[in-house]
Amino acid sequence: MTSSAAASGRRSFAAPRALLSDHPLPWLAPLIAMLVVFALFPFFYNIWLSFHEFAPRQRALEWVGTANWTQLFADSRLWGALGITLLYTGICLAVQLVLGLAIALLLDSDDPGFGFLRGVLTLTLVIPPAITGMMFLLLQDAQFGVFTYALKSLGLLGGQSILGNPSTALLGVMVADIWQWTPFMVLIFLAGLRAMPTEPFESAVIDGASGWQIFRRLTLPMLSKVIAIAVLIRGIDLFRAFDYVYVMTSGGPGTSTYTLSLYAWQQTFSFINWGYGATISLFSLLVILVVANVFVVLTKLRW
Amino acid sequence: MHSSSQRVLRAVAAWLVVAIFAFPIWYWFTIAFRVEREIFELPPLIFDFTFSGKSFEEVFGISFGGDSGTRGPLAGGGNFYMLPRLWDSIVIAVCSTALAVSVATLASYALSRMRFAGQHHFVFWVLSTRMMPPVAVAIPMFFIYKQFGLLDTYTGVILVHALMNLPLAVLLLKSFFDDIPTEIDEAALIDGASRWLIFRRIVMPMALGGIAATAVLCFIFSWTEFLFVLTLTQTGLKTVPVVSSTFVTSTGTAWGKMAALGVGAMVPAFIFILLVQKNLVRGLTLGSLKQ
Repeated sequence: MTSSAAASGRRSFAAPRALLSDHPLPWLAPLIAMLVVFALFPFFYNIWLSFHEFAPRQRALEWVGTANWTQLFADSRLWGALGITLLYTGICLAVQLVLGLAIALLLDSDDPGFGFLRGVLTLTLVIPPAITGMMFLLLQDAQFGVFTYALKSLGLLGGQSILGNPSTALLGVMVADIWQWTPFMVLIFLAGLRAMPTEPFESAVIDGASGWQIFRRLTLPMLSKVIAIAVLIRGIDLFRAFDYVYVMTSGGPGTSTYTLSLYAWQQTFSFINWGYGATISLFSLLVILVVANVFVVLTKLRW
Repeated sequence: MHSSSQRVLRAVAAWLVVAIFAFPIWYWFTIAFRVEREIFELPPLIFDFTFSGKSFEEVFGISFGGDSGTRGPLAGGGNFYMLPRLWDSIVIAVCSTALAVSVATLASYALSRMRFAGQHHFVFWVLSTRMMPPVAVAIPMFFIYKQFGLLDTYTGVILVHALMNLPLAVLLLKSFFDDIPTEIDEAALIDGASRWLIFRRIVMPMALGGIAATAVLCFIFSWTEFLFVLTLTQTGLKTVPVVSSTFVTSTGTAWGKMAALGVGAMVPAFIFILLVQKNLVRGLTLGSLKQ
């Protein structure tokens, strides 16, 4: 229905009959169809899978009841992975939010050169995270890395490398994430800032408000919805962090950079525990659903 | 209202911040274009490296002229001639962006203009489809694709990339449509225009900046996606992020080639961004002004 609608829409502006009315369903139908096939199906498949396990001897899936779920609650590596994921998400989100806001305020100017600077900043976004991971792997290489060399000459780093040390490895991965995604926040905040009306700011300056007062009382409230949506989108993606840890540390050293996504991946592909991998994924989904719901309620986002 | 010293200070700070962010890209760029032995120089060379187009030539099969020496296939094969992979990436990113943006534009217009019961929960549900860990989507997709012969095909990857971008696209586009006053729609409705006509002729042209911005983000997310392509393709096609892992071998990483691929991969994506750049920043307003 919709493909023919799109086709006829292109030929002339003749209206597809279904889209003439005021009923939202025809408009939403393609979206719902895609989400049912590609989102609802995987969801239920995972639930089904979480009650099964791959039996290597039979080379088939076997019903195991709630075994995967009981294993989940006794699995200390899972809770460790949850802690690391939350730490990773929390720190990256906070840094990207604050840094993104600060840089957006800094670059929000019509002076010559600022357009160019904004363009250069978007360059970080077009590099695939898998390659970004390799890039920071080289920068933090134990022997030849620029970061390692700089930190060592400043006396901030002893004999160990950044990624080889369990206490700094997560930090090393976070640097890559923060480098890549802070410009994403800058871009969104800049758009919000640029779209603001100038009158309130002008009258605030006339009234003698300080820069901090203007930011606190005018900029921040007007930007609040943008900030909320940006934090929500980024938070969801951060919680599923996979590429950087997969490429840079594969979870190591030890389990110091094991995120939930990586743990689910490894259970699925390295240990061929498909059922348990699905269970971890569902658990991860549950956590982010609860957090996102609380966030939406707290920030009073309404769609 | 700002003194000139403040302006200078601001410019200096801005250039400094952007330089810090640009540094890894610069360094990566020099790795791609330097003589291989200088990659492992200590202290690391940042500006005074010896130029060599060898890595780039080997990865893309493009000659810069000069004395590159080896022409023709290299021993081992496989890890050069990345142009077809670049093409795979472009086809997938462009098609999945087009699909995601058209489906999301239709839906977002309805979500912005026609209220229905449970709408807030519907949007949250759409968003929640992005919350699944990628592995949990990839496995079921693998089996369903195997069933329908979509494994290792453009169609399969395009569909899954479009799906992955739908929640983001719907959320963004709805905000842009929300920014356009509903009075315009209402006036046209009273004049007897159909919803489709209003959408096609009035609202969509007004939201073009937002649509462009959404398209850029969809393109970037598809361009850079790793896990779905890794699991849903075998030999038929591979995108740049996945193919980069072929440079990590048991005998070490071919940093020069890896960097050359990374630099080469930035070019088409950046061209796409430049094409819509004017609309980008203006478009990404996320409904900041309403309410």
